[in-house]
Amino acid sequence: MKKKKMLLSAETMDISFVRKVEALSGTSVRRCFQCGKCSAGCPMATFMEHPPNRVVRLLQLGQWQRILAGRSIWYCASCETCSTRCPNKVHLASIMDALRKLSWDAEGPSKESYVQLANKLFLQNIRTYGRQYEMRLAAVFNVKSGQFLKDLMLGPKLITKGKLKMFHQKNKNMTEIEKIFSRIEEMRKNGEAL
Amino acid sequence: MTPKNALRYAYYPGCSLHASAGEYDLSTRELFKKLNIGLTEVPDWFCCGATPAHNVDELLSLSLCAKNLELAEQVEGDLAVACAACFSRLKTTQHILSESEFKRQQVEKAIDAPVPLNGNVKHLLDILARDLGLKRLGQAVTKPLSGLKVACYYGCLLTRPTDVPNLDCVEAPTIMEDVLQAVGAETVAWSHRLECCGANFTLSRPGVVVQLSHAILDSAKAAGADCIMVACPLCHGNLDIRQKEIEGVYGTHYAMPVFYITQLVGLAAGLKADKLGLDALIVNPMPLLKEKQLI
Ligand code: SF4
Ligand code: SF4
Repeated sequence: MKKKKMLLSAETMDISFVRKVEALSGTSVRRCFQCGKCSAGCPMATFMEHPPNRVVRLLQLGQWQRILAGRSIWYCASCETCSTRCPNKVHLASIMDALRKLSWDAEGPSKESYVQLANKLFLQNIRTYGRQYEMRLAAVFNVKSGQFLKDLMLGPKLITKGKLKMFHQKNKNMTEIEKIFSRIEEMRKNGEAL
Repeated sequence: MTPKNALRYAYYPGCSLHASAGEYDLSTRELFKKLNIGLTEVPDWFCCGATPAHNVDELLSLSLCAKNLELAEQVEGDLAVACAACFSRLKTTQHILSESEFKRQQVEKAIDAPVPLNGNVKHLLDILARDLGLKRLGQAVTKPLSGLKVACYYGCLLTRPTDVPNLDCVEAPTIMEDVLQAVGAETVAWSHRLECCGANFTLSRPGVVVQLSHAILDSAKAAGADCIMVACPLCHGNLDIRQKEIEGVYGTHYAMPVFYITQLVGLAAGLKADKLGLDALIVNPMPLLKEKQLI
C-alpha cells in the first residue's frame, strides 16, 4: 500500500480539537519530545497503526482525524504503562480516554466496532442491573456481534464450576443508579459537563 | 467478643467476586475470619464501572466510584478491595476528585451527595502486609508453603496509575513476594510480573488476550515457577480459564495452576481445600499441592 503524504497546512491542522483533548485529559501534548518510551513499553503497540508516541505527535500537529479514523485508541488496554514511564509526565492513558470519549460522542468513524460494542453493553448492564452480569454480557455480545458460537466450549465447564451464574440478583440501589445516569445526561444537555 | 484494637474493614468485593471469581470471595472471607480480621460487606454496592466506563466517560466513571465510596461510609473501618481493577478505579477517583475542585463539583451534582475523600481504600494485599503485618502473618502459619515456587503476578493496575498514592513502587514492587515469603513459599524472579494480560479485551478481542497471556505464562514457566499467584479476578480469568485455549493455539503445555493470594495464604494458615474454593480452579492444582505435600 502506498503511504499517503501528510500535508501540513492551516487547513489540515485543527488545534481546537487538540485543546479539547488536553482539557479532558488534564495533560499537555506539547510536553512530549518524542522519546518513544511510551511505545516501547506499550503491550498493545503491535496491534496499533499509530503507536502511543505517534498519537501524541499527530495531536501536536493537529492531525486528530488520522487517529480517530484508525483503531489505535480502541486497542489501548488502559494499562497505564505509558503514563507511568513518560519522562515528561504526559498522561497518555488519559489522552487515550479523552480521544475515545470524543470519538464515542461524535459516533465518529472508527475501524473498531467490537470493543465499542463491548463497552456499550457493559455500561448498559450497570444501568439495568447495577452490577456486571457476566453471563448476560457475553450472551448479548455474541448475538449482537454475530459470533453465536464464540467461547461455546468454555461455557459448560464454567457453569459446573459455579463460575457463570444463570440468575442475577437485582441491586436495591437501582433507582440511585438510574438517577446518576440521568443526572449526567441532564448536565450534558445543559452544557454543564463535557 | 472482638478486642478493641481488632482490625475491621468495610468490604467491596466487586462484580467478579460475586460471579466468575467466587473462590476469591470465599477464600478472602475464610482467611480473614481465620486471621481475626473483620469484614463487613458494603450494603448494596454497585459496579465501579471498571475500564469501560473511564474509557469513554470519565464523569460517569468518577460518579459510580464516588457513589460506592459514599455507600462504604455506612460501614466502620477502611475500605478493603479485592479486585485490582476496582482498587485502581476507587483510588484514582479519590485522587482526581481531591485534585480538581471542578470535577468534584460535577460529581457531587451527579450523585447528589458530598464525596467522602478521606476514607482509606486498601487492597487486601496492603491489609495483610502492612495492617496485620508480615510478622503476625508469619505467626499465623501452621503449614509453611516450603518448596512451592511461585511467580507473583501483579498485572498492570495494582500499582498504577503512577501519580495516585498506591500500593507499592510502580516499577519494582515487592509486596506480593513479601507476603508469600512470610508464609514460607519461594518466589521466582521473572520478567512479566507487571505486564498487561489484556483483560479489557476478554469479550471483544480474545485473540489479543491469548497473545498477551501466553507471553506471561511462558515467562513464568521459563523462570521455573510451579504456579502463578494473582490478586485480581480479571488476571485470573485470563491465565486460568483461558490457559487450555492458549496451550491449544501455541501447541504448548503449561498445566500451571493459578492461585489467588488468599488461597495460598489460606493454605499456609491451615485452611482446608473446600474453604478455599480450590475445586473452582480450571487448571487443577491438586497434583502440585500433593506433590509438595501441602494438602
Ligand atoms: S514517553 Fe512521553 S515524551 Fe516520550 S514519546 Fe511518549 S509521550 Fe512523548
Ligand atoms: S495505556 Fe494504552 S497506550 Fe498506554 S501503554 Fe497501556 S495499552 Fe499502551
